[in-house]
Amino acid sequence: MDFRPLTDTERQRLIDALRNNAQNNRAILMDQRDTSFIGAVEEVTDEEVISAIKSVPCHY
Amino acid sequence: MLRGFLTTASHWLYGLHQALDRERAPAPALLPPAGSRAYRRLQRVVLAREVADTLFEDFAEHRASPRGEEEVGWILLGVREESEVRVRAALPAGADRDAGVAHVHFNSVAQAVAWRILRQADRRLAMVGVVHTHPGSLRHPSNGDFRGDSLWVGQLRGGEGAFGIGTADAKPVNGQAYADHVQTRDTLCFSWYALGDGDERYRRLPVTIADGPDVARSLRDVWTTIERYARPLDALCEQLAKVNFEVAQDGQVLLVRFGLAGSDHTIRVLLRQDEARFFLDQGGTLVAIDPEERQLDRAIYLILAELARPPQEAEASQERAVELVNAG
Repeated sequence: MDFRPLTDTERQRLIDALRNNAQNNRAILMDQRDTSFIGAVEEVTDEEVISAIKSVPCHY
Repeated sequence: MLRGFLTTASHWLYGLHQALDRERAPAPALLPPAGSRAYRRLQRVVLAREVADTLFEDFAEHRASPRGEEEVGWILLGVREESEVRVRAALPAGADRDAGVAHVHFNSVAQAVAWRILRQADRRLAMVGVVHTHPGSLRHPSNGDFRGDSLWVGQLRGGEGAFGIGTADAKPVNGQAYADHVQTRDTLCFSWYALGDGDERYRRLPVTIADGPDVARSLRDVWTTIERYARPLDALCEQLAKVNFEVAQDGQVLLVRFGLAGSDHTIRVLLRQDEARFFLDQGGTLVAIDPEERQLDRAIYLILAELARPPQEAEASQERAVELVNAG
């Protein structure tokens, strides 16, 4: 098990994930081998992706 | 004396605990508003190995097809990380694409339906880029590409996208490696670029491969069916909340389920290229339905309307149907 202190970036990602979990019910991803934190689920919205797909311009 | 010592020790431990808590607590500067993920400029595009295979295999297959002289392309789905995109799926332009020797416009409605199917398993899948091919050896996006992409790319996460150009001009380079933004396989070549919102030009984007599947491969066997029913399926997904997809029967059938409000019953539709069969699933008991309507979305609405009848009216309707059968 790795007990080293988190870097600022890692700590920020963990804080963001915890906040999103508490406020928006977003899942937190866990490494299945050692249960360490590996990130958060960043869901995309239907509108965001459908709009992008349907507006792909013609390519030449 | 012992009590005094314990009290002092307790206070000291409490103070130490508080100090450690303060040390562990993040600084206020580390607590920005939720959801404000910071994206930096793209440093690289990471393709799942099977996505890279898809691109090369599709390109080779396309060149050998009757439409091989035309341009072709794919959209890329994946996850935007802080400074890279990880591509997990490549969706084809589709047989119903509008293409010629100098342009390609994808069947985007079919691609949208495909994304709806894939997102059931991964709700992070976003649009991250576009790949298309060029005839000859123009390994760079054209001016026409820039005009469209520069207006479009701002809506992607981070305001930036990955763009690949496929050409069939790869040659041995006497043992020297190609540049890190170029992939080759036999004579085929993909060159990668990034473009951000407000950029004046594309810039070369290093490409790397990571082990992993193309999560859209499972849709290839039913792609013709997806294209055949794309518009009504897309419209139904826009209109109804409980729509669920499954590729069934070893990739031969696209199964679409429409959940009914207030029960666990569903309308099941089995879609093949030239056939749509409707069933009412009443908790495991399947009842075949013939809506007598060829247009898929209208058929679903007719079935929903029938199921929404008040019970007495539905029974009367059934009795009248029996009378008509007996009279006939």
